Amino acid sequence: MSERLPRARAIRLGWTLAAVAVLCALPFYLDAFWLRIGLFSMAAAVGAVGLGLLSGTAGQLSLGHAFFLAMGAYGYVWLAGEPGPGLPTAVAAVLAVLLAGAAGGIFSPVAGRVRGIYLGVATLALVFLGHHVLLTADSVTGGFNGRSVPPLELGGFSFSTDSELTLLGVPFGAEERLWYLGLALFAVTWFTARGLLHGRPGRALVALRDSETAAAVMGVNVSRYRSAAFVVSSMYAGLAGVMLALSFRRVVPDYFGLVLSVDYLAMIVIGGLGSVAGATAGAVFVTALPLLMTRYADQLPLVAAPGTTDGTVGPTEAARYLYGAAIVLILLFAPDGLHGLVRRLRARLRGRRAAPPPAGTTSPSRPPTSAVRAKEPTP
Amino acid sequence: MTDRTTAPPELAVTDVTVRFAGLTALDAVSFTVTPGSVHALIGPNGAGKSTCFNVLSGLCRPAAGTVRLGDADLTRLAPHRIAALGVARTFQNIVTTQGTVADNLMLGRHALSRSGFAASALRLPQARREQREHLDRAREIAELTGLAQHFDHPVALLSYGDRKRVEFARALCLEPSVLLLDEPVAGMNAAERARTVEVVHTVRAELGLSVVLVEHDMGLVMRLADEVTVLDFGRRIAHGTPDEVRSDPEVLRAYLGTGAEQEDAA
Repeated sequence: MSERLPRARAIRLGWTLAAVAVLCALPFYLDAFWLRIGLFSMAAAVGAVGLGLLSGTAGQLSLGHAFFLAMGAYGYVWLAGEPGPGLPTAVAAVLAVLLAGAAGGIFSPVAGRVRGIYLGVATLALVFLGHHVLLTADSVTGGFNGRSVPPLELGGFSFSTDSELTLLGVPFGAEERLWYLGLALFAVTWFTARGLLHGRPGRALVALRDSETAAAVMGVNVSRYRSAAFVVSSMYAGLAGVMLALSFRRVVPDYFGLVLSVDYLAMIVIGGLGSVAGATAGAVFVTALPLLMTRYADQLPLVAAPGTTDGTVGPTEAARYLYGAAIVLILLFAPDGLHGLVRRLRARLRGRRAAPPPAGTTSPSRPPTSAVRAKEPTP
Repeated sequence: MTDRTTAPPELAVTDVTVRFAGLTALDAVSFTVTPGSVHALIGPNGAGKSTCFNVLSGLCRPAAGTVRLGDADLTRLAPHRIAALGVARTFQNIVTTQGTVADNLMLGRHALSRSGFAASALRLPQARREQREHLDRAREIAELTGLAQHFDHPVALLSYGDRKRVEFARALCLEPSVLLLDEPVAGMNAAERARTVEVVHTVRAELGLSVVLVEHDMGLVMRLADEVTVLDFGRRIAHGTPDEVRSDPEVLRAYLGTGAEQEDAA
């Protein structure tokens, strides 16, 4: 918002560069399992940023995020594949994002009229509708078995294992290549979403959430901004859908169900509403934790090896229990999410380094924002 | 940056009637706000003062009557269009948004700036320049209203009086020609009241805008207002300078009750 001190800015730039360097180096050290977790996390982060903009910043509860993710994923597969127009894959990816945005635009008149929990239920209908269409429109979606995803090609470079590629002695398969694509797309998301949030549209959306009346008398065109939030959020969801499709290499209808929508809501709540970093942290948490736990649960005490049926807890169940417990713990002890937790820790550290702080002034933590306000105080 | 050095247009309210399901909240109310003056709207609770403000800012559509600002007809315009024409308001109960004082003041600059979703997302140079310019102006207004030291503080951490002042400054950020203040000193202590009065005087002198004021503090109304309109049960019962209104028998009756009622009560 305001100009930062040059030193603080330099430190920030240093951290960013270090993070980018580490992320770029990872494919040289990690195996495919970890890279796949990373890919899913990056895709989820893009989608979560989109939902965070809509539900966290603009305060419109959406249970329909899975629908827009499916629009992106299936849009890409159909546009690039056979049967379908068979467009160049890069063009298909861009069009799929626009398609998801258009779907959000078509739905936005509804979003302009219903609020709060009612909007949540209205968007729920989208998920069921979408799932049904995915199952029945065989010629486009491939029905129950779904469709395989054509690999993305950019200027003759294929993001698949079709061609051999070795860099610094490391064989570069699909995961390694997609990793850099995912990083680039995530960087675009980070850059644009933060620009939006810290700019004029972001302030207008926050005002819509906190009080539509105040927003209106301050000159914000309420219905236009409500619709725009939906369109932008759907476009991010569409991009996430394309990324997911490329990582999975096969799209199936059952993935894009209500559970996926709920997962995305969990991401933005766990991460902390209203910030890009929070949505990202939540996305990584929700995506990576179940996968990691499933893989390593058999090393925990009291967990049976996979395949045994002697009444003990299997690794899959153990992963679910731990995942559920982690969510409850975070909501109990960090109601403003991972982002709020980090902010408070940072404030405490800074306070300790500076003068001894008087009690109660170290943590300027905000009260948790309710994602959705069905009612606002009337003026 | 819009600079309204010329006199603000006249705000004319003519025969405005508002009904809420059988209750007539405003009954053919008319008054005119002289450019550059402070016009107070007073009356007992439920007299229709806030409804009148809601009509002026477009939150409530009248069943009959017109509201005009200079040549523009505000009667059927959406709130955001009215704001763009230079009518800003504050609320009786504080309505700020999350974030810092700067964020709130920048919301006030919304109608005066252009950058849309695409320009902001891509951080185009023109969007960044616009943001910088408006931030500078917002800082000036914060200084004018005595909020400079809180500019980067979250609004939620400020005192009640300061938050009320944030609302006031946010309305000023719209560079309004007419400023509607709904109980600007309600709940403030004496020092905060004095300070607010001072700020109203300053902005009126420096920005040359018209102020419409709803307030229960009669001492403040009598000191600030050039003209007073008195409402009771949605009707205009008196109008004039503060001195004229103070001695008006209708006004005394509305505020204190009639002699006959007092005897009944006794």
